[in-house]
Amino acid sequence: MRTLKNCWNSWRRLFGDPIRAFGITSVLLLIALAIAPAKDHFSEWRHYQHGYLKLIQSRRDAPVLERHFQAGIHQIWLPKLGVVDRCETCHVGLTETSLGDVRMEPYSRHPAIPHSMQQFGCVVCHRGQGAATTVAAAHDSTLAPNEPILPARYDEAACGQCHHADLEGTPTLNQGRELLARYGCVRCHTIKLPDGSAMQPTDAPPPLTHIADKTTREWIYAWLKDPASYAASATMPNFLLSDQEARDISAFLMANSVPKPGDTASLKATSATNADPAAGASLYGESFCASCHAMQNAAGNLVGGDLGPELTAVGTKVKPEWLTAWLRDPRNYDAGTAMPHYRFTDAQLGLLSGFLESKTNSDLLANVHLDPATPEQIAHGKQLVEVYGCAACHAIRGVPKPDNYGPDLSRVGSKPLAQLVFTAGMPRTLPTYLSNKIEHPRIFGPGLHMPQFTFTPAQVDALTTALLSLTDRSYTLPAKMQIAAVGQSSYTPAGKAGELMTDLNCMACHRINGHGGDMAPDLSWEGSAVQRQWLDAFLKNPNTLRPALIRRMPRFNLTDQERTELTNYIMTVYQNPKIDRDAMPQSGYSAEMVEHGRQLFYGKYACQSCHIVDPVQDRGYIGPTLTDVGSRLNAEWIYLWLKNPQQLRPGTIEPNRGMSDDDARALTAFLTMQKGAGSRKSGAGVASLRTSGTKGVGQ
Amino acid sequence: MQSRISTNLERLRASRLWNSIFRSGSGTSTLHRSMAIQQNVFLHILPTKVRRRMLNFDATWYLGTLTLGTFLVLVITGILLMFYYHPSVPQAYFDMKDLRYVVSSGLFLRNLHRWSAHAMVLLAFAHLFRVFYRGAYRPPREFNWVVGIILLLVTLLLSYTGYLLPWDQLAFWAITVGSNISSAVPFVGQKIHFLLLGGNLVNANALLRFYVLHCVILPLAAVMLIAVHFWRIRKDGGLYVQQSEPVAQCAEETAGPATTEETAEEVMAKP
Repeated sequence: MRTLKNCWNSWRRLFGDPIRAFGITSVLLLIALAIAPAKDHFSEWRHYQHGYLKLIQSRRDAPVLERHFQAGIHQIWLPKLGVVDRCETCHVGLTETSLGDVRMEPYSRHPAIPHSMQQFGCVVCHRGQGAATTVAAAHDSTLAPNEPILPARYDEAACGQCHHADLEGTPTLNQGRELLARYGCVRCHTIKLPDGSAMQPTDAPPPLTHIADKTTREWIYAWLKDPASYAASATMPNFLLSDQEARDISAFLMANSVPKPGDTASLKATSATNADPAAGASLYGESFCASCHAMQNAAGNLVGGDLGPELTAVGTKVKPEWLTAWLRDPRNYDAGTAMPHYRFTDAQLGLLSGFLESKTNSDLLANVHLDPATPEQIAHGKQLVEVYGCAACHAIRGVPKPDNYGPDLSRVGSKPLAQLVFTAGMPRTLPTYLSNKIEHPRIFGPGLHMPQFTFTPAQVDALTTALLSLTDRSYTLPAKMQIAAVGQSSYTPAGKAGELMTDLNCMACHRINGHGGDMAPDLSWEGSAVQRQWLDAFLKNPNTLRPALIRRMPRFNLTDQERTELTNYIMTVYQNPKIDRDAMPQSGYSAEMVEHGRQLFYGKYACQSCHIVDPVQDRGYIGPTLTDVGSRLNAEWIYLWLKNPQQLRPGTIEPNRGMSDDDARALTAFLTMQKGAGSRKSGAGVASLRTSGTKGVGQ
Repeated sequence: MQSRISTNLERLRASRLWNSIFRSGSGTSTLHRSMAIQQNVFLHILPTKVRRRMLNFDATWYLGTLTLGTFLVLVITGILLMFYYHPSVPQAYFDMKDLRYVVSSGLFLRNLHRWSAHAMVLLAFAHLFRVFYRGAYRPPREFNWVVGIILLLVTLLLSYTGYLLPWDQLAFWAITVGSNISSAVPFVGQKIHFLLLGGNLVNANALLRFYVLHCVILPLAAVMLIAVHFWRIRKDGGLYVQQSEPVAQCAEETAGPATTEETAEEVMAKP
């Protein structure tokens, strides 16, 4: 009460008289007006600019840096990109090359990048609020809620907004994109790219239409419960099914399967039982099954390729009759399989299937005991198959492929936080949400169907990076900034040879005219590159050209007729229109020229660092062996290759040495003389000269 | 010292230049003083003479004057803000950001404008309640009461139209909700809604319309009405001070007789 009275008294004293009230109010207004410029003067960015001046003061390069420094707010304004970035106001030394040793933020130098900052600004890559001139408003998730600064480990996401093709400098992004395609993410989630194309899966989930021919219900049950228990490298995720759900789905799949004639084959009992395990293993090796399939070795490490399924315990999975039929002609069971059609003899089939049947895991099915399925279980199983979206990946009879089973992820990198659910204690940022969702898909609430994958932390980061690159900005950027992914063409070889190539599935490994795999060399211009005799001999018995490679081309046991067909087709059709095969002679070069080429090879260009010409001395294991390159490659191809390898095969690691015409010609002369061990023995004058000369150099 | 200043002042007021501007001439007589008010375009809407009591804080709590003060602040800061603002969809929001982050004292300017707007609405309402509870709306001031009510509406419309201009989510949805209310009017609701927004959605046209309303039409209307409002104070017998009212009008409130302080001179000076 008393304080109230005091207040009232002082109020009267101050404002009781109108003139005094006017004066006091005016003073208050003046103070208020003075606060504004004062606040402006003590702003954060001025503080950082003072700090910068202090930092450079004691440096040796201070005069230069001080000359570059201009006080005030700086900005990069790019109207076409919608960018107003004032980051440089505090990050003063971004473009100062001499500040490489400064680690203190915000003064460190920007690492070298292929783009100019003046052309792209900062937030296009790093996100954050470019217009802001205070630390919190520019970076933090609380004050820049839509676009907080992107944590550095996802930086490559920025590149992916324009570069839809893989880049050399973005391994994480490339890996993330590969995982999205390889683990079938894009089968449930649509990912459209700005050019209108959609990301395509690269996995090959098998059709389940004839599954009962292939395996047992017990195996399906065990697989559904935990795919990784059967194969550590399984790409099928774990749907965290209950025992009852796995039981019903397996019941439905078995009941839904229709037998197909030719899916099972019985061999003469003798061939399988008499099989020598060592012979089976060596046939497995000779056929280069390991180029595509992996197996766990005794030490528990996976050895082999990842194009086909892991075979560590395949004997527990498949029925022997099915396996034999599959090895005889895989396309009968699955017309779209990547497995080539080997021409195995019955004896070989017996050896190989016997070897594979011996690869078992006795623990897997030990505790699986299923009673015969009831109709209710089968019906419930079908329901579950629809609920879990199995048909998004697998062809299942009577269950249509669901459209957009999962949410569209085309612009997930710009998803507003308001549309996301977070669990308690999770930082409210998009990268945290994405990485948590990938790692633990079901923690965000009940009723979620996304399965559990087993990704390593590095893979989770890669996937998050790839998803963060799918931003709204990538759609609004000018079209000329978009660098489209190199998609697969729809090329298929024609005619009888084309049929043969489809049957052998050449394109699973080789790329031809923009279609096919990248495991083996591109064959688009193979007809211009190689000699007919060599190709014919190679198809008969493929040997390796690169000593360091584990993956080899398998032998398909082609008939003479098939081989001739294939050779003719390749030599005739796969020609580069700009290469005249006869422009350089295949032989008849002068001894001086060859010798000059030899000197260039070992001296000026040091080709022996990567290639082998003399198997005794040379130690180059990176490039193909050249001991018989003279009987393998066409002379004109060698010449053009030496002049500019990237032009003939974009992306090859062979460097362009900028050779003069004379050097290239001399090297071509030298290389065409390399006709393998046979020709060397025949004692051609030039060859013996070369051999002795090499020895001379060696000694 | 003082005398020298007053001598100089006197000399100035006698000069030809001064007389060409201020026709009332020099002198301190009542006539001269009332002429000084009457013959000035800015001052003539005010009473030529007021009682000292009318100027006391207790008499009015200065609510009307304070409302005018906030209005003046709003006009000045508003004009300064207009230098930095484009009423266009791609620019508007980023102009806010520029004001916040790079314009010198831009944040102060915006905040002053915003808080003054809130204060003006508050003060206008306080003024209304004060007038109402003191009974100052009664004849002969009933017309000025109506003008005041219209001014309150103009104030609220100014506040509402200004809300859209930052072009952020709050603005967008506030105007979406607000304009949808207008479409609830029977029969012509949709038409009013369309007219208000220049379309069916809050978009570029709505932004432009609200900008023109906020910066041109409504301020002009406010200035005109404020002029009328002040003029009517003079015409309706000056500021309302209870004790100075004729007996007939304040009989119910005060038992005592009308004040005797009113001199013949003052009555004469009344317009």
